[in-house]
Amino acid sequence: MKRIILSLILIAPAFGQVPRTADGKPDLSGIWQALNTANIDLQDHAAQKGAPAGQSVVDGNEIPYQPWALAKKKDNYANRATLDPENKCYLPGVPRITYLGLPFQIFERSDLVTILYEHAHANRFIYTNGTPHPKGPIDWWMGDSRGHWDGDTLVVDNVHFNDQTWFDHAGNFHSEDLHVVERYGLLDADHIDYRVTIEDPKVFTRPWNIDMVLYRHVEKNFQLLEYECYAFDLEPYYP
Amino acid sequence: MRFNSILLVTALLGTFVTGSAAAAEADKNTWPQHTPDGQPKVEGYWLAVDYGMGCLQNPLAGVGCLKEGEEPGRGNRSKSPKAPSRIIDPADGEIPYQPWARTKQQYYLSNYFEPTRPEFLDPQQLCLPLGPVRQLTWHDVHVLQYPGYVLFEHEGGHVFRIIPLDGRPHIGSSLKLWMGDSRGHWEGNTLVVDVTNNNSKGRLSRAGDFASDKLHLVERFEFLDADHLRYRAVFDDPSTYTRPWTFGFDLKRAIFGAENPTKDDAHYEQWEEACYEGMKPVDYSLRSDRSEK
Repeated sequence: MKRIILSLILIAPAFGQVPRTADGKPDLSGIWQALNTANIDLQDHAAQKGAPAGQSVVDGNEIPYQPWALAKKKDNYANRATLDPENKCYLPGVPRITYLGLPFQIFERSDLVTILYEHAHANRFIYTNGTPHPKGPIDWWMGDSRGHWDGDTLVVDNVHFNDQTWFDHAGNFHSEDLHVVERYGLLDADHIDYRVTIEDPKVFTRPWNIDMVLYRHVEKNFQLLEYECYAFDLEPYYP
Repeated sequence: MRFNSILLVTALLGTFVTGSAAAAEADKNTWPQHTPDGQPKVEGYWLAVDYGMGCLQNPLAGVGCLKEGEEPGRGNRSKSPKAPSRIIDPADGEIPYQPWARTKQQYYLSNYFEPTRPEFLDPQQLCLPLGPVRQLTWHDVHVLQYPGYVLFEHEGGHVFRIIPLDGRPHIGSSLKLWMGDSRGHWEGNTLVVDVTNNNSKGRLSRAGDFASDKLHLVERFEFLDADHLRYRAVFDDPSTYTRPWTFGFDLKRAIFGAENPTKDDAHYEQWEEACYEGMKPVDYSLRSDRSEK
């Protein structure tokens, strides 16, 4: 018993940095939100009416498109007011759901990390129980998520996407071969370093990285509400 | 002295650890087990015993309690397989609508089979969230428990409910939500949930049954044993009904998997049901346009 108490004392300072679950993993539970303009454009962008300026969240600011894909991206950008899938309120895919602009709540346990989003009741079940991705091909909007802990970082491997979502309103896009690796690392109790590696050999010449900070909501009684995106046009029929 | 204090603390800790280990061991052999924050452990997938949303009086019957394929006016309720009415109270099994509300419900129902306007389409056909009560009657729900929370993950249309147990007040009354605003607490093995802020747009059945956005719901999820759940919801909405009434049905623990079905549902996963993304435009479902399309 003495040895246990001594061990607890020795470990305590290291464990004080970030909240931890009973099994010692960093506890990501809580309500989080990105506070940036990545949903408008992942890269450096000047302000336009209704769309604030923002600094790039892409490492090096360059998205390494293949030539044909760069041309398509430019076309997407020119026609973004009508072509952005967000206009149709489709599920926004990963990682766009993270920085779409609305809060989300993480519930963590040893075998499963659940993320519930205010946007359209979108949800993600990130299985951390060692199970592999189901056999594909599957064309899901939000993909299939399997996670594991790399030290204190939750690493989430995502595959099985369709090719219908964009990364932002600026027309950055991908194919159904998209492979997304997310890394959630607590910087302290109230900030997550959110790093994402995007890989899609059909569209890009190499993998590229996104990095941003997610902020914890600390307001008393803050909770998720609803943004039932696709319902707005239908609501008038159901008074 | 200092040594004695350490001994005392060690002895007390020892007693505590032994005591809680014994309690945990006892808990393992009885139902229900408990979560670390003291909730009865009721996690898993749950499913309505009698599936169906067409008729509250007989969920196994067709829309408006008609037989499958029957048109209104020629129906015969007695010919349908019978399941318990979901209207527990009043005893006559009818929702105590005010006269204007009954007229409105019948108007929706009479237009269900040949919808000419969007409001005659059942909200479920448009992939809309169905509200806290009706959503529970559709597909399975995965119940998950966390310190201070119960989560309901509905497979249908990936709708979820987050139910805080910390006694916090409801959100402002002018904020209306498709799934309402839920506050829960445990009374023994019964989860009691107070639901306000309902926009009530999801309706209660395909037969046009409805509440208003003034609805106050009190739900009772009574977990009878490891595999059986009795659900009751009292509808209080003086703007629509002549008296409060009770919606109720039974759920069972869902066991999935064609091969080696087991109560150990760890192998089951809810997969994406992107309902709206596959939906046809509203006009497509309307009678006047169907022939052209």
